[in-house]
Amino acid sequence: MQAQLETLSNLERRMNIALPMAAIDAQVTERLKNMARKAKIQGFRPGKAPLKIVEMNYGAQVREEVLGEQVQQGFYKAVSEQKLRVAGYPRFEPVANEGDKDSFKFAASFEVYPEVKVGELVGKEVEKPVVVVTEAEIDKTIDILRKQRTRYERVEREAATGDRVIIDFKGSIDGVLFDGGSAENFPFVLGQGQMLADFEAGVTGMKEDEVKNITVVFPEDYHGKDVAGKTAVFEITVKNVAAATLPEVNEEFAKLLGIADGDIEKMRAEIKKNVEREVKRRLQASIKENVMQALLDVTEIELPKALVQLEVGRLIEQARRDMESRGLKVKEMPFPPELFQQQAERRVALGLILAEVVAENKLEAKPEQIKAMIEEFAESYEHPEEVVQWYYASPERIEGPTSMVLEDNVVEFVLGKANVVEKEMSFDALMGNNA
Amino acid sequence: MNQERLLQVILAPVVSEKSTLVSEKNQQVVFRVASDATKPEIKAAVEMLFNVKVDGVSTVNVKGKVKRFGRTFGRRKDWKKAYVSLVAGQEIDLTATAAE
Repeated sequence: MQAQLETLSNLERRMNIALPMAAIDAQVTERLKNMARKAKIQGFRPGKAPLKIVEMNYGAQVREEVLGEQVQQGFYKAVSEQKLRVAGYPRFEPVANEGDKDSFKFAASFEVYPEVKVGELVGKEVEKPVVVVTEAEIDKTIDILRKQRTRYERVEREAATGDRVIIDFKGSIDGVLFDGGSAENFPFVLGQGQMLADFEAGVTGMKEDEVKNITVVFPEDYHGKDVAGKTAVFEITVKNVAAATLPEVNEEFAKLLGIADGDIEKMRAEIKKNVEREVKRRLQASIKENVMQALLDVTEIELPKALVQLEVGRLIEQARRDMESRGLKVKEMPFPPELFQQQAERRVALGLILAEVVAENKLEAKPEQIKAMIEEFAESYEHPEEVVQWYYASPERIEGPTSMVLEDNVVEFVLGKANVVEKEMSFDALMGNNA
Repeated sequence: MNQERLLQVILAPVVSEKSTLVSEKNQQVVFRVASDATKPEIKAAVEMLFNVKVDGVSTVNVKGKVKRFGRTFGRRKDWKKAYVSLVAGQEIDLTATAAE
């Protein structure tokens, strides 16, 4: 077997391989002989057909199979001989053979992994957000928790902002009931913008069992096209007005949150722990993001198209499954690959860079690191031991934490080298909420 | 014998264990032929189509099998089989002609 390597561009290579025809023929005959022992052909008892007849029937097919295999084998042998790292899958094409009957020639085009040269990290600025969890943040969290546990109690007074009302309503435009304009026993909370402002204003001030007609003008850009811009009259019957009460921060509230003895101090401590864990997680995520960006910035890398293509396919598949699980009809939905191109490129680049950094600096995940990581995961569950056991039960489950440890190692390594700039960040900005 | 008739005489080669056996042993080739074909016709037809010398022709009328479907009996068609002996040294490559 002969193999010649051509360099087409930085990453693209083409290999011209010639396989000896004799070897192929020998293998074809060998296979046919094996087949003849069992072959069932019209006019012959099974296995009694002569080789010639078997060849007539199956020759072409067997030849194709053998060729396919030989091409694969030949290619991988050549690759391992020349110590190439093939990215993605190669593309094979036969080469026209002039006069040479003794060999079968084909060309394989493929891409190789790029040499990754991780750039100089020293002096590179990496932002490291810092957030301090103070009592104020804990109070805020407690407030949110209280709001989630709001209780409503029936009152016999006029409905005011913040109250929950249960109403029947019938809406009509020009005296005709319209679709979706009527409901019975419809609950909503006043003052949260759930309904149109006019509607809420109309309901505010009504009492239980009161009936009233209100006029509502639908805005021009209302999502219901049929009624947008029109004026509707709603006949509203208030069935129930309930005032909201936020639970007091007391023993009972603490018990609700799972503190058995209702100790408020303990509850605060518990909440603090949770908030701090969340903050830590988000900080780490944001640092990781910054570090990865820094790595991308300092490294110049040419990506093999085949790998990017594979990654795009994977992303599309993922997006599709995601949508499906949300109950969307995926079949008619087009997934333009361009949408995923950039993300895929980034992921491939990062993957290559990370692998390089890890290999170069010996940052492999150590078992005790993985263990620590899993234990940290487990902490937020009710039965940590079980969670730990679940992770160790099968090798695939360990993979997740392992790669996270790897990433953490890389982050640490980069932070050790780079010029870290600490930046104060507000709690709210980090959590991404304005509550 | 006119050529048009000769082209209608030979219907198909018979490929079976027996036919391969006799071809190796006696330089015979087996054909399915028209039921009303005569030995001279078959000889002429083979000589013309395959460009070989024919030594002799034996024919046999194969009776169609009686087949039953439920209560009704049916009969397959009778057909004629011809064993054509070639003059020594002559050969018909049926695999090649079959592919044509």
